[in-house]
Amino acid sequence: MVENMENTTALLGWSLPAIEAVDKMDRPYVVVGPPEFQEFAKANDIPFIPWEFDERLLTRSDELYEQLKALHTKITVPIYEETVEWAGILNAKLKDDPRIFHKSLLLRDKGLMKRKAQLAGIRVGIFEEAENKGDIYRFFKRVNEALIKVDGDMEPIHVKPLNKAGTVGHRMIRKEQDIEQVTNEEFPLLMESHLEGQEFSCEAFIHNGKVRFLNITEYVKLGHSNFVPASPSLEKWRPQIKAAIEQLVDAFEIKYGMIHPEYFITPDGTLYFGEVAGRVPGGHIFELIEKAYGFSPFQAQVLCSDPDTTEEEIASFFPEEIVSAKGHAASLMVYPNTRVIEGLDIPEELKNHPYFDKHDLFIPVTSKVAERVGFGNHYGTIFLFGEDSEVVRDLLLQYENYNFYL
Amino acid sequence: MSNLIVEKTIDKQTAILKDKFEIALEKLEQAKPFAKSMYQTEVFQLATELAGSFDGLSVIYSHAHRFDETGVFYAGLWEDITKMEPSLVGGSLRDKGINSIVELLSEMRMLSIAKGDYVHPVVSKEEAGAFLNEVLALNLDLLFPSKTETYRTKLDDHVFRAQRLFYYLGQELSLNAIAAKIVLEIERLTVQRPITTGRILKMINMSRQLIDSGIDEQTAEALEKYACAVNGPTPLSQDVSNQREYRLRLEKAHEDEIEIEARSFAEAINDTGLVSPYHAVLIRFLNRKDSDNIPKSLDLSEAGTESFKANRQLIHDVIQISIYPETCQAIYGLKRLLEREVLAQEQVVPAIRRLFELPIHAQARQVLFRPEHKQSGISLNGLLVAGVISVLGQPLGVGQGLQATCQSARAISLWSQYGIVQLLDYIASAARDNNISMIFEGEAIQSSLLEGGVSTDFQQDVDPVSSLLVPHLDKIYNEMMKRTLLRGEDGHKWVNPEFYGGWIPTGFINVINQATLKVTDYPAFVKLFYATHHPDYNEGRELVYPNPVGIFITNVHGELLGLHAVTIQRINQDQNGGYRVYFYNPNNDSGQNWGQDIKATVTGFGELEGESSLPFHEFVSRMYAFHYNLFQQGDIYMVEDSLVAQVEALAKESWGKNYVWA
Repeated sequence: MVENMENTTALLGWSLPAIEAVDKMDRPYVVVGPPEFQEFAKANDIPFIPWEFDERLLTRSDELYEQLKALHTKITVPIYEETVEWAGILNAKLKDDPRIFHKSLLLRDKGLMKRKAQLAGIRVGIFEEAENKGDIYRFFKRVNEALIKVDGDMEPIHVKPLNKAGTVGHRMIRKEQDIEQVTNEEFPLLMESHLEGQEFSCEAFIHNGKVRFLNITEYVKLGHSNFVPASPSLEKWRPQIKAAIEQLVDAFEIKYGMIHPEYFITPDGTLYFGEVAGRVPGGHIFELIEKAYGFSPFQAQVLCSDPDTTEEEIASFFPEEIVSAKGHAASLMVYPNTRVIEGLDIPEELKNHPYFDKHDLFIPVTSKVAERVGFGNHYGTIFLFGEDSEVVRDLLLQYENYNFYL
Repeated sequence: MSNLIVEKTIDKQTAILKDKFEIALEKLEQAKPFAKSMYQTEVFQLATELAGSFDGLSVIYSHAHRFDETGVFYAGLWEDITKMEPSLVGGSLRDKGINSIVELLSEMRMLSIAKGDYVHPVVSKEEAGAFLNEVLALNLDLLFPSKTETYRTKLDDHVFRAQRLFYYLGQELSLNAIAAKIVLEIERLTVQRPITTGRILKMINMSRQLIDSGIDEQTAEALEKYACAVNGPTPLSQDVSNQREYRLRLEKAHEDEIEIEARSFAEAINDTGLVSPYHAVLIRFLNRKDSDNIPKSLDLSEAGTESFKANRQLIHDVIQISIYPETCQAIYGLKRLLEREVLAQEQVVPAIRRLFELPIHAQARQVLFRPEHKQSGISLNGLLVAGVISVLGQPLGVGQGLQATCQSARAISLWSQYGIVQLLDYIASAARDNNISMIFEGEAIQSSLLEGGVSTDFQQDVDPVSSLLVPHLDKIYNEMMKRTLLRGEDGHKWVNPEFYGGWIPTGFINVINQATLKVTDYPAFVKLFYATHHPDYNEGRELVYPNPVGIFITNVHGELLGLHAVTIQRINQDQNGGYRVYFYNPNNDSGQNWGQDIKATVTGFGELEGESSLPFHEFVSRMYAFHYNLFQQGDIYMVEDSLVAQVEALAKESWGKNYVWA
């Protein structure tokens, strides 16, 4: 390694799969993560900077920047939602380009994000920010007035925190009484009209402002089950979807890295933009991409985050979309339907199915089931893999409500 | 080689699992150490599936020699094979979570060492075999599952898996070695003469199937001896099929035959401390028709016979209401009680008599009642009396069972030695009023008014007196300790003399400074113990009363497990002239290995029934608190520093690692 050459990749956040992937890449790296991992990192020779990613971004980022600079850091790559703006401010400093930071903030504020998309002419539902319950009552009423739904059969709206990952804190308001469930601590919130259609996500790897690889993840049930690549009935809209992603990339001025937007698509192919994140998606999507396509999405993210990656490297890294997939890889996330877990029941029929890949369900050490937050803390996942997306989907639906935990 | 055999015979599903398992092991092997944890789960899952069949177990076994190098146990509790303990295996296997499968894999690793397929740098073939033999001997219920347990639910998968593993291990290991281990284990437990014998009886009964399985003669004889002792140890009892038949047979027997019966039973209980239900039938029979023969059937010492003669009416009544086949173990207690001459003490006889017809509180009825006694016709008062006989006969046979109530078990043991009338008063009060009252610093503490303490549904593995008293004692002890919380010194200093009795000396020292929680003045602590307890330094004073002391319990690796209450019974020279501490351990398992080669023994150094012993300095190295008499101590400066250094080194390298040393 040449001294003083700025070529280190910094992973922001602790994730073993990400560390393992970058460790295999034969390029210098450092992990910036919570101090509790320091001992482990030391014992395993993982280059490590202990860091609390707290609210004090503006006052403390210089300190982290100096540490990273000393390690010849070229780029930082965010691993989870809370580190996206840290990556933004650090990359801005490393590249001496403040706009990088401001662009990253767009990805962290769902209100700003929607506005930006709307300004760029991207189709979104209607939305507003809410400061209090009064705002929600008014928005709910106005949406339903606009849809001329005044007697009973109300059109639902959604509310969610401005800056939380995925579905954390998401609520659906179907009637006025639901608004009372919202607590004062949850404000400010983003309110959105309900969008009909099939929901899916994209994982787009961007290098030099161009989409280099586009994966479409089909949601069977939001937060419960999805598969990669999407079924032919969704993939047939790929050209339109790709165009929408390019529009989004332009609008958000994204040059390097990976984005994870969510869309709704109506049966006639009309796309509605939901939201977009600039970090590793949940729902085991990276694992599914790796299983289906055989490349590591973590490595792809690092490669695409680095402006110096060559066209040749990009071209040889990514396989061809859809056709090179060896099959459809699916995950079914399982939540206990019971207060106390006493046993497991994985049906023989499922375990013996040729599409059954593996599962990681165990009876947890503490048998009491934790409260559910977003979709982040499912207890285990069942993985499927097979050629026919219809069979995959049927299995996911068949076992969606199965009581795996007794 | 074993791989090939496996492939030929296994079914399709196992073959698929085998392939997946091998791939998963491969991935795990290739992962860097920091990433191993991400690949272990898959190996555990597939092992769980494979462990569902014997073929699957063979597949697991065929890879067991690689487990360490691939990282199956990497960074987990099972990583260091030298830290495995046979006594923990059963518990882990019965755990529903991930531990049970990791434990299974660890046994397979051990088996591959035992069979020579895996050469381990530290653990030898023989050690691995001995380990597994001990595991099997300790978990006979898994090795010989009862036939009635065939009702199967999803919830019990892990238990069936454990049974399958044990069957597999049993096939692979020598039954002879397992049987020998079982005999050792039974001997180790019986030599301590516990009151509660459920666990021993279970082992004896389950190991009967081993007797005719071609094991070596000596081991078979030993198993036979125990099986006989608890079933039919006499000519006539071996000849009959039930208790009724036996009783009828006794009616027809002539004098010589009865005498042989009496002597055979006596021999069996002397030999094993275990009592056959037929013995109870004989004693009840003799009690009615031929009570002169009772001393013979108990093989009473001279003192015991005198005591019997002096209290004939009481003994007659005690047998009549409390000695039944279901309570036969109390016969051993009766023998010991007579030999201890307990009944000669004033007020003891009336205090026992009072229990015959004591009205029993509804709460206490629930505690004493055992469903298995429903058919026997024995009254609750009879059960209670049988329990009292056992405790008074075998003060060191009291055990705490599976509860953390060593303080209370120790109290019952102490009182049955030096506070019998007090103990009988507490028993009467708990049984009749569901309450025990003690005075602490001038104020009465009533157990019935206190919340908390150990739950009352715990008593399946303790004797009736313990099940009656411990919930009360536990609450009172906790309450007394609570009242001393803010005194800046260890509360035991004040609580012990008031709780156990006035004969506990008031001098007290704890090695942990209660304000700083640091080990403070350790050399002074050690010297004080020598100067007050070691005959070479305390001017030859003998211990008058047993001394309740606090010890750090450590495991076989010398690691701290927790605090424990034991009683020093006496300090004496052993046959080699070295001083030993003889102590009572309420945990029912006194022959433990505490690490650093400190192994408490229960026999071989002149231990009395129920005592364990350790060389003086080894015992001191585990102590954290003791009482002493301020007016009876030798000169501290006479204790050599080299003695202290020896003890201190043992302490620092074991429990001492968990503390800061001031």
